[in-house]
Amino acid sequence: MNDRKLKQLFASARQETAPAPPEDFAADVLRAIRREPPAAAPETISIFDQLNLWFPRLALASSAVIVLCLALDYGLTAAGVPSLSDGVAQLSAQWLLTPTGL
Amino acid sequence: MSDDAELLERIRAGATDDFAEIVRRHQARVFAILHRYERDAHKVEDLAQETFVKAWRALGQFDGRAPFEHWLSRIAARVALDHLRKEKRRQNEISLPELGDDALDWLRRDDEKSELDARSAAELLDLAMRELSPADRVVITMQELEGRSVKEIAAAIGASGVAVRVRAMRARAKLRQALEKIVTEKL
Repeated sequence: MNDRKLKQLFASARQETAPAPPEDFAADVLRAIRREPPAAAPETISIFDQLNLWFPRLALASSAVIVLCLALDYGLTAAGVPSLSDGVAQLSAQWLLTPTGL
Repeated sequence: MSDDAELLERIRAGATDDFAEIVRRHQARVFAILHRYERDAHKVEDLAQETFVKAWRALGQFDGRAPFEHWLSRIAARVALDHLRKEKRRQNEISLPELGDDALDWLRRDDEKSELDARSAAELLDLAMRELSPADRVVITMQELEGRSVKEIAAAIGASGVAVRVRAMRARAKLRQALEKIVTEKL
């Protein structure tokens, strides 16, 4: 089957006439439409739906904050600046756990 | 006589009966599209009804940027695609249509000047296209029989333009093989 013959086949098939719609076709369609169930009322969104909607975003935002803090801590340690955890340890050693402290 | 846009506006405002006028205006085109995929007139009628009911349900999504006819044709192509997929799944239960002698003679002949009548050509194509996947069939039908652009086909089947071009090329090759198979099997 060469290309020309295939084109000829398409050209002949294109000439075929489709069956005519029955006279009462439009009325049948209207009857079918009227049988359609009415559109459902919009559902109320529950608290769980909202959580489901928000949780991926909250989880992503929390992860971003954690990563940012870790990076900041690592950066400050590398720069020789005492990190927040060192500061807290120092504070507790000097003030909180001394005989005069708590 | 008001145009489609005006009529659709009235339907959206609640004039359901006016949808009958929309159906009357576009039914011939919808039947013509669906007849390319299904040769049984009763099934074509059922598919046409499904097309209009789907259009009715989705009327709120029609934004009027393209003509209503184009939007409706797209729905008809999707209905045809779903139908072909269902038919493909129960392919073993469906008997293949008999091919007339005219079509077989034409197919066997090397003479390119001989002509085949429209009905025989459509029957022959229908038989050969059963070898294609439903999406391949829709692509080749829209391109070769309906003269649609790649962009229109892509919008109808929800694929990219490149995917449509590749699919059309592959489908044409498969169609050629299917036609050759018909000749060798019927010899």
